[in-house]
Amino acid sequence: MSTPVLAGANTAAALAAVVLVTAATVLIAVNGLRLSRTTSDFYVASRTVKPWWNASAIGGEYLSAASFLGVAGLIVVSGEEGLWFPIGYTAGYLMLLLFVAAPLRRSGAYTLPDFAQMRLGGRLPRLVTSALVVAVGWLYIVPQLHGAALTLGITTALPRWAGPVAVTGIVCLTVLAGGMRSITFVQAFQYWLKLAALAVPTIFLLLHLGATGESVTAGGAAFDRLPAQEAGSAALGVPTGDLTLYQTVSLILALLFGTLGLPHVLVRFYTNPDGPSARRTTAIVLGLLAVFYLFPTVLGVIGRAHLPGLVASADADATVLLLPGALVGGVAGDLLTALVAGGAFAAFLSTSSGLVVSLAGVMSQELFGGTVRGFRIAALLACAVPLGIALLTGTAALAGAIGAVFAFTASTICPLLLLGIWWRGLTGRGAVAGMLTGAVSCGGALAAAQLLPAGYTVAGLAVVGILQQPAAITVPLAFLVTVGVSKASSAPGGRRAAQVMARLHAPEDADGLDGLPEEISRWRP
Amino acid sequence: MNPGATPGESPARVRVTAPRDAPPVPGPTLQPGTPEDFYLRSLIRSQLRLSLSVAAGFTVLLLVIAVLIAFWPQIHEIRVGTVPIAWLLLGAGIYPIILAAAALYNRACTRNERRYRDLASRP
Repeated sequence: MSTPVLAGANTAAALAAVVLVTAATVLIAVNGLRLSRTTSDFYVASRTVKPWWNASAIGGEYLSAASFLGVAGLIVVSGEEGLWFPIGYTAGYLMLLLFVAAPLRRSGAYTLPDFAQMRLGGRLPRLVTSALVVAVGWLYIVPQLHGAALTLGITTALPRWAGPVAVTGIVCLTVLAGGMRSITFVQAFQYWLKLAALAVPTIFLLLHLGATGESVTAGGAAFDRLPAQEAGSAALGVPTGDLTLYQTVSLILALLFGTLGLPHVLVRFYTNPDGPSARRTTAIVLGLLAVFYLFPTVLGVIGRAHLPGLVASADADATVLLLPGALVGGVAGDLLTALVAGGAFAAFLSTSSGLVVSLAGVMSQELFGGTVRGFRIAALLACAVPLGIALLTGTAALAGAIGAVFAFTASTICPLLLLGIWWRGLTGRGAVAGMLTGAVSCGGALAAAQLLPAGYTVAGLAVVGILQQPAAITVPLAFLVTVGVSKASSAPGGRRAAQVMARLHAPEDADGLDGLPEEISRWRP
Repeated sequence: MNPGATPGESPARVRVTAPRDAPPVPGPTLQPGTPEDFYLRSLIRSQLRLSLSVAAGFTVLLLVIAVLIAFWPQIHEIRVGTVPIAWLLLGAGIYPIILAAAALYNRACTRNERRYRDLASRP
């Protein structure tokens, strides 16, 4: 099945919606420019953002192309196994709440490398963390740009390079204009836009199917296993075949613990005024995500029932874009398609700009002395590299590509954060060794899975299936190496660790912390 | 930032730089063996125990579902209306559990911190 390009009046409406979303984004960002003046504004929005705003912004930033387009596409292609992805994306925030949210907020660090240096001291942990953050960010932006190429390619007559170039340009502009402060408002707005852009078509489609008397699930056939499914699933990196259980467990592990290490997610937590508000914010985020994922799931089921041709096509990720036109048609179909296209664009813009802000923050501190000018140069760099990669590589399945990034962060940054926050014994050497082990083993496995032929076996074992989902092996390995090297290299750093632990875990308004200076024990934004 | 600037007039640009080094680490430490240090250590321990038990409970639940689906294929035959029960569970049923776990955790976590504050502020 060739790419089902929509034609006619659709093009104009979808293009108008994309332009509208873009204009709104730029407008809010430029407004934010008047408010952001200091470096603190640029990096963390002066830490004055309220939980509801911040939660909406986190949701807006987190719901990327993989969520907006990819989840429904996965469900169309893989059915039941695809449902694990949104569960993992949501439950990742539960882990973030349990282990990271409040202590990380209390650490007072601007970025992940700041946290590494504060906790461990020395240059090396900071450098390694910075390099990893930049690599993760770049890898995560690329699928957003691929999603933009897909969306514009299907809903308008524009060539495939137009989407990535447009997203990169707009993101660069907004980030240069306002930094994090304006980004917060943009992101919060974009969560609700994305929710509406999927909720309205979903409800409309359900009502439409109800009115025409068609079964939403094609009499339950939507849930049957399809013949074309196995091959498609394997190519997407969705658990399948003999290794389903291993791959499912590995995928869950990657998604649960990968969220902890995403740079654009972490930087958001610095914008909460204190630890308890960071926890409240995270709980609200969980609610927002749970509500959101209902809609792509339902759309995926409708897609399975009513667009079965998509399973075998390369454009299953376009399911949510194609459904309104295929089922409703006419002007209503065109308008709904335009709404979805606008929402999809909001997803690419918000995730990419969040990533660019955090990457620029890290790079400018590392390379340009942390000035506002340096931040802007770094923002340009953070935009340019993924654009180059996206234009040079073909479109991969969105949710699968993002799943690989989660496995990588779970194997590298997650051990640093979890052990840094909860274990006094972590040393700089241990953290560096663990991060490098995780990066090499997980990165190597993912690369090998791409290079080896699909049917490659070693002693009868389908190695490629294991390499595709390496988290179940590489995450424990990274933890083991971190702990082992820390124990072997235990320096007389216990005093520093104890100080940092006091700062991370003591409530902000606790009395009796006589040992801690006023700014720590009674700190208020 | 220019404190003298009147509203409406844009303040003069001032070059502001981020902290070059890591944020300051608290200077004087809690001396080992003091009650303050003991209270803090027990706070951290109870918070960690709380986080681990919520995480373990949730992870075990996910694993049970994954194993159930892998080793009990008949589960696909059980349907509510036209929707198989596995789809209902994975597509909708897990989310309220996640939210309940988060709410439960936040309550218990705040309780731990309150208990610590009471202990630490006792003269």
